[in-house]
Amino acid sequence: MNARAAMAGPVRRSRLAMWCRQHAWCMRDSLRQLARRPLGTALTIAVMGLAWALPLAFYLLLVNVQHLATAVGDSQSINVFLKPGIAANGAAKLAETLRARGDIAAVTVRTPQQGLAELAAMQGFGDAIKSLPDNPLPFVLLVEPRPGASRALVQAMVAAVRAMPEVDLVQDNGQWRARLDALVALGRRIALLLAILLGAAAVLVIGNTVRLDIRGRADEIAVQQLVGASAGFVRRPFLYEGAWYGLAAGLFAILLVLLLEAVLAAPVRDLVATYAGRLRFGGLGWDTLGAGWGIAIALGWLGAWIASSRHLARLRP
Amino acid sequence: MIHFDSVSKRYPEGREALIDVSFRVEAGEMLFVTGHSGAGKTTLLRLIALIERPTHGAIEVHGRNLARVRQRDIPRLRRDIGMVFQDHRLLMDRSIADNVALPLVIAGIPREERGTRVRLALEKVGLAKRGKQVPAGLSTGEQQRVGIARAIVGQPALLIADEPTGNLDPQLSEEIMQLFVTLRQTGSTILIASHDLPLLKRMKQRVVVLDHGHLIDDVPASEVA
Repeated sequence: MNARAAMAGPVRRSRLAMWCRQHAWCMRDSLRQLARRPLGTALTIAVMGLAWALPLAFYLLLVNVQHLATAVGDSQSINVFLKPGIAANGAAKLAETLRARGDIAAVTVRTPQQGLAELAAMQGFGDAIKSLPDNPLPFVLLVEPRPGASRALVQAMVAAVRAMPEVDLVQDNGQWRARLDALVALGRRIALLLAILLGAAAVLVIGNTVRLDIRGRADEIAVQQLVGASAGFVRRPFLYEGAWYGLAAGLFAILLVLLLEAVLAAPVRDLVATYAGRLRFGGLGWDTLGAGWGIAIALGWLGAWIASSRHLARLRP
Repeated sequence: MIHFDSVSKRYPEGREALIDVSFRVEAGEMLFVTGHSGAGKTTLLRLIALIERPTHGAIEVHGRNLARVRQRDIPRLRRDIGMVFQDHRLLMDRSIADNVALPLVIAGIPREERGTRVRLALEKVGLAKRGKQVPAGLSTGEQQRVGIARAIVGQPALLIADEPTGNLDPQLSEEIMQLFVTLRQTGSTILIASHDLPLLKRMKQRVVVLDHGHLIDDVPASEVA
């Protein structure tokens, strides 16, 4: 190994150490600048935090609508009303036939007596049912499609069942589920657009704050340039400033969403109880919150980068 | 050390700040540049510091042709030059020590070494015990000393000063100039722009005289009276 090669390692390490020291100084300097104007800093963080909390809260709403749809969807069986006159053994035989199908997970037979009892338990129906001379209800089969079956597969199964001679009526509750899924998909798109728009607003807010900061520190920047600061060194504290804004605003937004979850917890718990445990209220996962936080930091940095690129280039010592 | 070869500088608005100026400054030399207001003194210093570029001619500093210096290399070259300004250009919200340490921070010098070098620089200008104060609490002369400490803390081979005594009374001016003389003894090359002729006469150093951008006289130290 020649002398030059032997020196390359230490020189590289020394440059890295120098670079790290410069970054450490710029990081401290940016924090010091933010601490110098606590009210302005807090307001900027609050504005960006609120802007960022909105899409997160909307996403929280969507996640829970999705949970609701799943819970309701899981309990949706296709109701197959058999023709009047089909007896218990006929209903049981048809149920066996359906259970043998690959696209059906389970079939439950509900007798006319069970149906009448259910109706009687409902408020306002008791007296009317007592006045009936006999039970007019047919046998009903509650058919559960196989989990994960596509909408097209379920529709084909419904058509096949409807064509059976014993069947009087098939009530397919999956149609409104499809509508709900479409609405959730639309909501996701709206949440994304909201996040993009409010993210752009956050970039502008940080960009404008950094622009004003650059104007206010023009003399200091000129001194730095005169004593040998590179463009990168001059820019670094502003980039850190943007990242700090994003960090604090992201944390603020997460705390707001957690607060929202806490406020909604009690009424949602009551709602969940009515679904006998099939419905659950879910907060945003830590991975989602972490990603939201990371994006907020990136947006703060981006706003500062745009502002510093535009305005620092105009400053000369 | 410094070589101006037929240097001219015309500003975009058409003003000729320097016209065909040539002179040479040797390493370790102390040189005053004088002339009335608008003679071109500040432009001359700004050309050396690469704040401006000449319209014509060549400038060599440390054997390097400044015309060939790329924009991105300018900061590194400026770190080899100590600069003192008439208005001190101190950061009033930072401590005196932080002001002096700024060139070392920019150069990426470790914190311990920074502390030692800042202390030494402040000792040289007689402000060793005031590092933690902010500049606003200092007199104008003391603020200028802080500016000088900042200029010398990086131990530059070249020190340039633009009217460093412009706002000071005669006694303070004398003190500041003596400080430059002391610094010269450590081997630094010093270039000072000043229009204070009585002070220049007392300093008895080489003087270059500018008038409307022309170099009209170059007086050796031995002939200054």
